[in-house]
Amino acid sequence: MVMASEDEVSLLVIVVDVNPIWWGQQANREPQFTLSKCLDAVMVMGNSHLVMTRNNKLAIIASHCQESHFLYPFKLWKSGDGHGDDNPSTSGDGKYELLSVANDIMAEEIKILMSRTEVKGNQTDTLLAGSLAKALCYIHRVTKELEAGQEIKSRILVIKAADDCALQYMNFMNVIFAAQKQSILIDACVLDSDSGLLQQACDITGGLYLMIPQKIALAQYLLWVFLPDSDQRSQLVLPPPVHVDYRAACFCHRNLIEIGYVCSVCLSIFCNFSPICTTCETAFKIPLPQMVKAKKKKLKPST
Amino acid sequence: MAALSEEVLLVVKRVRQRKQDGTLYLMAERIAWGPEGKDRFTVSHLYADIRCQKISPDGKAKIQLQLVLHTGESTNFHFSNESTALRDRDAAKDLLQQLLPKFKKRANKELEEKNRMLQEDPVLFQLYKDLVVSQVISAEEFWANRLSLNNVDHSASNNKQEVGISAAFLADIRPQTDGCNGLRYNLTSDIIESIFRTYPAVKQKYAENVPHNLTEKEFWTRFFQSHYFHRDRISTGLQDIFSECAKQDEKGLRSMVVQGVKNPLVDLLSLEDKTLDEGYGSNSMAPSTSSANKTVKENSNSAIIKRFNHHSAMVLAAGAGKKADAPNDQASETSSTDGNSRDSDFFQPPVKKVKIQEAIEYEDLHMENGKKTVALNLKKSDRYSHGPVPLLPQQYTTSQDIINSVNCIQQEIANYKPCLTQVMSSSTASSAIAALSPGGLLMQAGSQQAINQMVPSDVQGELKHLYTAAGELLRHFWSCFPVNTPFLEEKVVKMKSNLERFQMTKLRPFQEKIQRQYLSTNLTGHLEDMFQMAYNKFHAWQTRQMLRKT
Repeated sequence: MVMASEDEVSLLVIVVDVNPIWWGQQANREPQFTLSKCLDAVMVMGNSHLVMTRNNKLAIIASHCQESHFLYPFKLWKSGDGHGDDNPSTSGDGKYELLSVANDIMAEEIKILMSRTEVKGNQTDTLLAGSLAKALCYIHRVTKELEAGQEIKSRILVIKAADDCALQYMNFMNVIFAAQKQSILIDACVLDSDSGLLQQACDITGGLYLMIPQKIALAQYLLWVFLPDSDQRSQLVLPPPVHVDYRAACFCHRNLIEIGYVCSVCLSIFCNFSPICTTCETAFKIPLPQMVKAKKKKLKPST
Repeated sequence: MAALSEEVLLVVKRVRQRKQDGTLYLMAERIAWGPEGKDRFTVSHLYADIRCQKISPDGKAKIQLQLVLHTGESTNFHFSNESTALRDRDAAKDLLQQLLPKFKKRANKELEEKNRMLQEDPVLFQLYKDLVVSQVISAEEFWANRLSLNNVDHSASNNKQEVGISAAFLADIRPQTDGCNGLRYNLTSDIIESIFRTYPAVKQKYAENVPHNLTEKEFWTRFFQSHYFHRDRISTGLQDIFSECAKQDEKGLRSMVVQGVKNPLVDLLSLEDKTLDEGYGSNSMAPSTSSANKTVKENSNSAIIKRFNHHSAMVLAAGAGKKADAPNDQASETSSTDGNSRDSDFFQPPVKKVKIQEAIEYEDLHMENGKKTVALNLKKSDRYSHGPVPLLPQQYTTSQDIINSVNCIQQEIANYKPCLTQVMSSSTASSAIAALSPGGLLMQAGSQQAINQMVPSDVQGELKHLYTAAGELLRHFWSCFPVNTPFLEEKVVKMKSNLERFQMTKLRPFQEKIQRQYLSTNLTGHLEDMFQMAYNKFHAWQTRQMLRKT
């Protein structure tokens, strides 16, 4: 049960947040942990996953503020087509060729991505929802391209740096529910500040959420917590799940409320009672308290 | 013990009970037996207590009557008068048969119902034990809500469906050989009823002949002996009382054939027995239908088939009941009277029309004439697509910051070379591992043991019972509000005292018990809170009542 069978493919998609603005500021805050270090750690994680079993597959997506770009696998590869034209210089240290090729491609692609970054003032948020959607599409495609008799288990690991973007809320939620339907786990490794959206994603899909105290030990955290797949996790002692704040936000102020009023026609949530729902303009009768009647009764005998 | 004013319906002498001679008395409301020579009754049962009576089979030497009570006890009476024993027993049995149904107590049924409910639902039983047996609440209050639910079920089951007739009831009789060249037919009342319902002619004959001319036994013997019952119905003439039945059956069959089938989509005439005969169908000899040419074998075959069809038709007719006949008769009347004058479409028999209608129309394809609905009118639908306001304020970045950051990163990545041998130092790795190990920084929340592992299971079980019982009491209490009637006032006061009593008798001992077991978890805090809320509400209500009165 713990050993994967020959026909089971395990696909890991790593979504790395490479928001240049955040990482640029990070370079000033903490020079010992920069984007390069982070990418190294991601590479170690990817290599480890590929080495676990021959049937494991990997994909890495860089989530930028202008686009989501696949760092691995190389887009122009066709199956069976070797990269024959390239220099056959496998790294001199005798590494498993798949890993060295993968690392080279990743490095190459991130350079290309960063070099074409344009500076735009209104686009400072990481396009995380889009990257997750791309990840889901990739998983879907790989699932369709399986050979007969093969089964696949996929999961997405999100390494998040910058803060949540409130505008991506709906897209995010849609992605989360789609992943849940497809039984795809979403794990989250958060570097800086807690993200409510990712907490929800992990809770709903059954993945792990972790905010790491030491960024420089990122590789260790990744290997310890996120490398085992979901079957193996039940056998290990891992950090316990986080308490998720599922409170709804009222439609009038966007505050999180625990008890509120819900319009029975359009299901919009309000923190205060109002006789007319502002979303669908339905009028509601206000229930009269019973004390009014009692008072009337009292008046009669006295007159 | 015999009340002088009781009306004695039947007295049977020479009845033994437990090997003692005595006399059996059947009164208006009870049955009693007293030994010979004494004028007291040693055995006395009210008819209401008797569940059923049983008699010994006919062939046995001892002629006995047994009474089974509701409680399960049984009393045996042995009729020992040589000459009249059987008659006495049958007389007693018949009288009891008439009297017992009158006294079937309704209340007993309720008791049985309650017992059944308690046995079926262990949670209910536990609740009953906790509340009623320990005198916290009275039995009537306990059953007040529950019985009303079940009465609904009873009324539904009273409208029983009529049991149909098995088509094989005649075959089920299965004669057994008697050993000496005779046959033994076992007739139960079910089979007799089936025969009467299917063949009303036989029922008529039975009514005419029994018990004047023939006994029941003789009637049935003749029935089975007659050729009416057997396969080959060659009419014998003779004194066979069933030859008339045979003729009636023929008439019935013919009228059924004439009536035909009312469904225009069913064409019975297209079903024909066509045998290929000799020559595999190449012989062009048409099958003759005149009865003169038929062989003997064909005749008997057609007779059996005719009887078979008739039997099936009678079984169906008996099962259809009386309601189906009435509209059919009306239908045939309307078709026969005005068939000439009006348009033929108008006056097709309604059954035929319905059948054709069913065949050509599909309900799903009809135009939808659903109820009028009101459309949802959303003025501000974008409200649904926004999430909550982020709790932490967004960091504000100046455009200069942005430019600097981007440049910095671009430079860094342009010179990026993966250096996988120096991703982190061993000290950072070990500190990370320490944080992830049990007891470490990140594992704090998981170190709390689940409560259900720390508390023994019997304590858990007791807690569950306490919750169920307390829930029941609190439900009674809270359902009294708002207090509108004097009945509810009384009830609310009573319930409050019930709650206090429950707290004293059940909750406190439980708390002491768990304290003695050194369990530090607060298991009863929630229960106490619930009780306190109830008391608060009661006090508030009481003060309001007093203010009103003054």
